[in-house]
Amino acid sequence: MMRALLAAAAPLLAGAGALWAAAPGAAPSARAQPKRIVSINLCSDQLVLALADRRQIAGLTINAADPQMSGEAAQARGLPLLSNSAEQILAIDPDLIVGMPASRSAPLAALPGTSYPLLDLDTANSLDQIYASIHQTAAAVGHPERGEALVGRIQRQLAGLGKPGRGRVAAYYQRRGYMTGTGTLIDEMMSRVGLVNLARILGKPPLSQISLEEMVAAKPDFLIVESATDVVTDQGSEMLHHPALRDIPRISVSEAWTVCGSPAYADAARSIARQIERIDGGGR
Amino acid sequence: MIRRPVLIAALAGLALAAAIASLGFGPVDLPVARLVAAATGHGDRIAAIILLELRLPRTLLALAVGAILGLAGAALQGYLRNPLAEPSVLGTSNAAALGGVAALYFGFAQMHPAALPLLSIGGALLSLALLFALAGRSESPLTLILAGIAVGTLAVAGTSLALNLSPNPFAAMEIMTWLLGSLENRSFQHVWIALPCVAIGMAMLLWNGRALDALTLGEDAARALGVDIGRTRLRLLVGTAIGVGGAVAVSGAIGFVGLIVPHLIRPLTDRSPSAILLPSAIGGAALLTLADLGVRIIPTTNELKLGVVTAFLGVPVFLIHLMREKRLW
Repeated sequence: MMRALLAAAAPLLAGAGALWAAAPGAAPSARAQPKRIVSINLCSDQLVLALADRRQIAGLTINAADPQMSGEAAQARGLPLLSNSAEQILAIDPDLIVGMPASRSAPLAALPGTSYPLLDLDTANSLDQIYASIHQTAAAVGHPERGEALVGRIQRQLAGLGKPGRGRVAAYYQRRGYMTGTGTLIDEMMSRVGLVNLARILGKPPLSQISLEEMVAAKPDFLIVESATDVVTDQGSEMLHHPALRDIPRISVSEAWTVCGSPAYADAARSIARQIERIDGGGR
Repeated sequence: MIRRPVLIAALAGLALAAAIASLGFGPVDLPVARLVAAATGHGDRIAAIILLELRLPRTLLALAVGAILGLAGAALQGYLRNPLAEPSVLGTSNAAALGGVAALYFGFAQMHPAALPLLSIGGALLSLALLFALAGRSESPLTLILAGIAVGTLAVAGTSLALNLSPNPFAAMEIMTWLLGSLENRSFQHVWIALPCVAIGMAMLLWNGRALDALTLGEDAARALGVDIGRTRLRLLVGTAIGVGGAVAVSGAIGFVGLIVPHLIRPLTDRSPSAILLPSAIGGAALLTLADLGVRIIPTTNELKLGVVTAFLGVPVFLIHLMREKRLW
C-alpha cells in the first residue's frame, strides 16, 4: 500500500526531468564532496544515509526516522528532518538535492528562481535499478568506493539465499486487499527465494485489489503481509485478520524494508527465506 | 392501504429473497449446487469458507443494520412529527461513526472488544441529547433539521480531525469508509458486536408504538391518555443510540435508509406511527441488503461504498419533502 501511495505522490518516471548531476562517473568534479545534502524523498533518504558521511547531510524527510517506514531509521535519528517545505530548503541552501525524482518535487517547484544541483533517482523496480541508484548516489555524494562496497555486500548476502520457496505460490497482500503484482521489487524478491507471485498466475497488474473471496478461492501457499498490519489498528488492516484467511501460512515483512529500492532489499529477501524455512520446519 | 399481515409477509418475503441473493452473488462465481452443498455441510472447503465466513456475516449485518436504520427513522419521524427525521439527517450516524473512529484509532478497541460499540453508542447518545436539547420542542420542523445538520457536520469534522491526528498514514481512505459506510470484509466478530445492540435498540423502539400514536394528538392529549412522555422520549433516545451506535460501529454511517423506508411504507398502512414501525424495520433490512448487493454487482474497479447507493435513492425523497415544507419557511 505504501508503494501505491508513494507511486501516486511522485510521478513514476523520472523521464523528462533534467538530470543535472546524475549518471555514475559523471559526478560533478567541482563539487566532489557536497557539504549540505538535502534528501526530499523517503527512498533517497536511505541511500544518502548509507553512503554519505553524517556531517554531509543537511536534511532528510520527516519519515526518515520512522522505524515503520525507513530501513535506516536508527541512523537518521539526530539529523535534521524537513517537513517538505520550500522555506526550509532555502534556509539550508543545499549544494546537492537528492530525490526520486528531485526535479519534479513540490517544494522545488515553489522555488523557480533557484537552481540547486539535483540528483534524480529512478523509482527502483528491480535489483539492478537498486544497484544503479546506489552507484549514482555514491558518486554524487563523493564516495563512489562506498557504492561499490555496498553493492558487493548486497550481492554476497543474496548469494547464500537458496530457493526455499520451491515453486510454491505466494500473494503479497496489503491493507484493503491490494495485491502487489509483477514488475515490482516484491515480485523479484519472491522469485529470488523460489516463490511464484499469485498476481503472475492470475495475470494481475502491478497493483490490483483482490477481494477476500477471490483470495480464499485462489488458495496461495503463503500470504506475505506487512508487519505493520500484524496489529489491527484500522479497518484497512482488520481485513487481513479475517478468519477466512486463517489457514494460509503467513510471512510478515517490515514495510521499511520493502517500500523502497534500498539496501534493505537483502534483509527483506533473507527474512522471507527464513520464514519459509520456519513454516516448513513447523510440520506443515 | 394493505392489510397489515399481508404487508409484513410481503416485506419479509422481499427481505428473504434479498438475503438469498446476497448469499449467492460475490466476486467469485459459485454455482448454486456448490453453495447448497457447502450450506448443508457436504461442500468443499473453499465454498464453505466463502459462504459461511464471508457472505453469511455480510448478509446478516446488512439485514440487521438496515432493520435498525429503518426502524429508527420511523420512530424518530413519529415522535418528532417531522417527516425528515432519521439517524443520518439528524447527525446520529455520523456521531456514532466518530465514536467508532475514536475507539479504533486511539487504541481503545485493542484494550477491550466492547470499547468499539460502547464508544459508538456514546457518540450517538451524545448527539441525540444535544439535538433534543437544541431543538426538541421547537415548533418548526426545519429547526430540528438545521440543528441535526449542525450536529452531523460537527461529527464529520471530528471524524476527519481524529483520523488526521491518529498516527495513521492511510487516514483518507479510512475516513471515506466511515462516512459512506461499507459492509465489505465483515466477519462473525462484527455480527456479535452489532447484533445484541441492534436487538436491544429494536426492542426499545418497538415498545413505543402506542405512545407515538397518542402523541399525534399533541403532548397534552397524550398525557391525558396516560402516556409518560419523559419515559417515551428516554426509550426513544437510548434505543436509537444503542441500535444505531452498534450498527454504525461495524458498518460506518450509512445515510438515508431511515428516511426513504418509512416514506415508502407509510402509504401502504393506515399512516399511524405505530403501524409503520415493524414494516419499516423489515423494509429497511430488505433495502440495505439489496443496496449491498448492488454495490457488489455494479462493475466498478474499486468497490462502491454503500452510502453512495443509498444517497442516490434517498436524496430525491429528501428534496421532495423539503419542497413541500417550503410554505412553512
